[in-house]
Formats: sequence, C-alpha cells, structure tokens
Amino acid sequence: MFGYVRPSLARLSEGDKERFRAVYCGLCHTLGRRYGPAARMILNYDFTFLAVLLWQEEGAEPQRRRCIAHPLSGRGYYPGNPALELAADESVILAWWQIQDALADPGRGKAKYRAAALALRSAYEKARRFRPAFDGAARRQLERLRALEAARCPSLDEPADAFAKLLAAAAGEAGNPVKRRILEQLLYHLGRWIYLVDAADDLAEDFSSGSYNPLLSRYGLEQGELTEEARAGLVVSLDHSIRLMAAAYELWDFGPWSPIIQATVYEGLFLVGRAVLEGTFQPNDLRIAGGSKEQL
Amino acid sequence: MTDPYEVLNIPSTASDEEVKKAYRDLARKYHPDNYHDNPLADLAQEKMKEINAAYHAIQQERGSRHAGASGSAYAQQGYGGQYQQRTAGNPAFQQVRMAINRNDLGLAEQLLDRMGDHNGEWNFLKGTICYRRGWVDEARRYYETACQMDPGDPEFRQALHFVENNQAGYRPEGYEVFSSGCGGGNLCGRLACTYLMCNLCSLGGMRFFCC
Repeated sequence: MFGYVRPSLARLSEGDKERFRAVYCGLCHTLGRRYGPAARMILNYDFTFLAVLLWQEEGAEPQRRRCIAHPLSGRGYYPGNPALELAADESVILAWWQIQDALADPGRGKAKYRAAALALRSAYEKARRFRPAFDGAARRQLERLRALEAARCPSLDEPADAFAKLLAAAAGEAGNPVKRRILEQLLYHLGRWIYLVDAADDLAEDFSSGSYNPLLSRYGLEQGELTEEARAGLVVSLDHSIRLMAAAYELWDFGPWSPIIQATVYEGLFLVGRAVLEGTFQPNDLRIAGGSKEQL
Repeated sequence: MTDPYEVLNIPSTASDEEVKKAYRDLARKYHPDNYHDNPLADLAQEKMKEINAAYHAIQQERGSRHAGASGSAYAQQGYGGQYQQRTAGNPAFQQVRMAINRNDLGLAEQLLDRMGDHNGEWNFLKGTICYRRGWVDEARRYYETACQMDPGDPEFRQALHFVENNQAGYRPEGYEVFSSGCGGGNLCGRLACTYLMCNLCSLGGMRFFCC
C-alpha cells in the first residue's frame, strides 16, 4: 500500500501514540524475523493500521528493545502474535503484487521496482504459502485491475472495486464471523478510498506519462489536474467511503484500539485526503494528520 | 440480561440527564439513517434494540419518569424496509425492490436490464444496487438522473442527499474535518432539507453541519 492511512495524532493520548508506535515497531520486528531484513522496507502506517484492525489478543503489553533505527534508547514494541504475523504476511503479499503492478505499467520507471522485486521474491514465496487464500484474491483482483486499466475503463467505481475487494480479503482470517463481516466492509471502503486517493495523488504524473488514471477517463480531464466539478465529485466519493468505514467500525468493540481507529476514520483520513487534493501531501510525514511536530 | 448501564457506557450513579445524553449519543450513532442501504444495517438494528431496551430498563428502574417519551422514538424507524412503502408503482419495479430487499442484487440488476423504459424509478433502483455494492460514484450519478427526471420525488431526493451530504453522518463530538476542508459547500446546498434531515431533526438535541 502507499502510506496514506494514519490516525490524527492530535486526537491521541500519549499512551495511544505509544501503543500505535509499538504496533509499528512490532510489525517491523515480525517482518524481519519472518522474512529477513529486506522485508522491513515495505513497512508503513497502512500496514500498521491493518495490524490494529486484525488484532485479537487482549492484555499483551509492549516490550522494549534496541534496533537499527533506534540503537541507543530502544523502543517499545509488541512481540510477535497472530495479528502481527497475519498483517506481516498480508503486507508482503500486497507489496509484492503492487510491485508487479508497477512493473506492468508501461508509463513508469522500472529500475527501483525491479530491485524491490528481487529483494522481496523469497519473502513473497514464503508468505504465499502461509496465506494462499489471500494471495489468490490479491492475484485475481490485480489481474482484473490490469485488464480494466488496459481497457481504459471510464468508471471510478469498477477499478476501485478491484482494489477494495483485494483489501477486504485481508479480513478472511478473522475468527469471529460478525467481526469478519464488519472488517470486510471497513476494509472494502478503506481499499476503495486508498485507490481513489492514490489516483488523485498520481494524476499529474499519469497525465504526463500517458498512464491510465481513472480520474482522467471518468471526468474527461484535458489537463493533469482536477476541475472544480471533478474535485467536488471525488470529494463526495472519498468522504462517503470514510463515512461507511466509520459506520462499520462502530459495530465492533475494538477495545484499547478504539481511539486509534476513531482518530483515523473520523479525522486522519480526511486530513490526508485534503492534503492530497491540495497537493501538499508528504508520504511518511505524520504531521499532516495532526498538525503537531510529532513523528512516530 | 446485560447491565443496562454497561450498554449505555455510564456508571449506575449517572444523573437522569447523563442517562438521556448517553442514550441520545448512542441512538444518533446507530440510527437507521446512518445505515441506510448499508450491508451491515442488521447489526446496527441489533445495537439499537439493545440501547432502547437498556434505556427503558433504566427509566423503569428510576420510576418511569420519562418512560415512553423519547425511548421508543427510534424503535419505530426501519433499517431496510423502506422500499415496500411505495404504493402506486409499476409491478415490475416492485419485483426489483423485493430482490433488493433480499439483497439479491444480481437478480435485481437482471430485471432492470431487461426493461426498456429507463425512467426516474429505473435510475433510482439502479443507483440503489450500485450503492449497496459500495459503488458510490455510480450510485450518485443514477440518483442524479432520477432526480432530474422526477424532481419532486422525495425518495429519489433523499437517496441523493444521503450520498452527497456526508456532513450529516454521525461523528463523535468535536470532529468536524472533511476532505473538502469545511462543513458545507455547494454540493449539499443544492437540495432543500429533505425528509431525511427533517426526520433526524425531529429527534431533537442534535447538531448538523449543513442546512
């Protein structure tokens, strides 16, 4: 994924920030342990949020250890557990298929994706054995997406549906059937939102390179930027998907993770969407979603 | 039975006002208007039943001072049965509505695709199918066409308003950020305060960012 999903830090207590950071570090350690150091490069806040949604255990406390990124003081992290392992496996599969997707896109530079594919190949082979159902769903939906892109599909919803279904498949291993239904709906609209925000973020680049971008065909754009009308229409789609995510979130008790999810679906995503539409979005800069100087 | 105070997430020492406020906040969150055509509407309905039962139990325990005043107001609302209420409709559309209510979207779509007359209701139902699948952009386009064809139809206007007016959805107190930056804007100003909003307004004590 792309690093668009993040909670609004201004809404989190120190304890909640610490907890989110411990998931981030826990996912990093789990990726390293299961797939070797190269797999850590795929770590981002989107995958961290996925781990939060998939969390099953209660009562586990973060531990502390030093790592390459924090060699002196060390950081709090959650040791490996089924949710982190699931999130790590699914992250590797998603990252792998996204790299394949970028390699298949004739409008993009290839060198960095080739290098990433090389570094991630053995991790992917392992992850796909752990999670064959999710790998199958990812492969199917990305093939569908590629066919829609090749046909220059004029719909926003159809290509977004492919990515949304791909992400919704990440809920497949949630044990409780009610939680699974809720997560499927939440992840469907999260995937849809990510796809549309990414399309808006890449619009100028796709326009110059001649790559497919659903916003160009849906709104018949003649420039690499949104017209007022197109922008207003896109905002309705983005905000409505967030609204449906929030409606799904409210139907399950996520326990100690509630403040983090709430700060994401009621504020963080809106702030990121706005920054992307205004052209001020910075990947990996959490300040966008909180206004403070803090970083995780 | 679950402790009613636990359901409303308040201590048993809460004042009558606090009980009422907790109930209103939760009822606002799980209100049918927030789960209109939502695939999870049944779960929201269950939550609403629990909340209503808890509120009634507390009221009864405290001497029925307010019993029946607002506690039953929400229980009367429907989560998914809106479609049978249209009376003077084309029987073919009734079939489509029934298929949509059963969540058999494939059949509903097949029935619609066989029809030649793409009138307002056809577009509305097509939009409803898209919406249930999460295809918000196409749902909105069909609803817009339906509204253009039958500008006076409250059902079509309600559907379009629901998709466009995201500011009216539930949010915890103090959360007011949207992708467009501010609450309001020209999209939600396009339609008058419809049935949906009036329905919500009548419940009292709620805040809206639009209208």
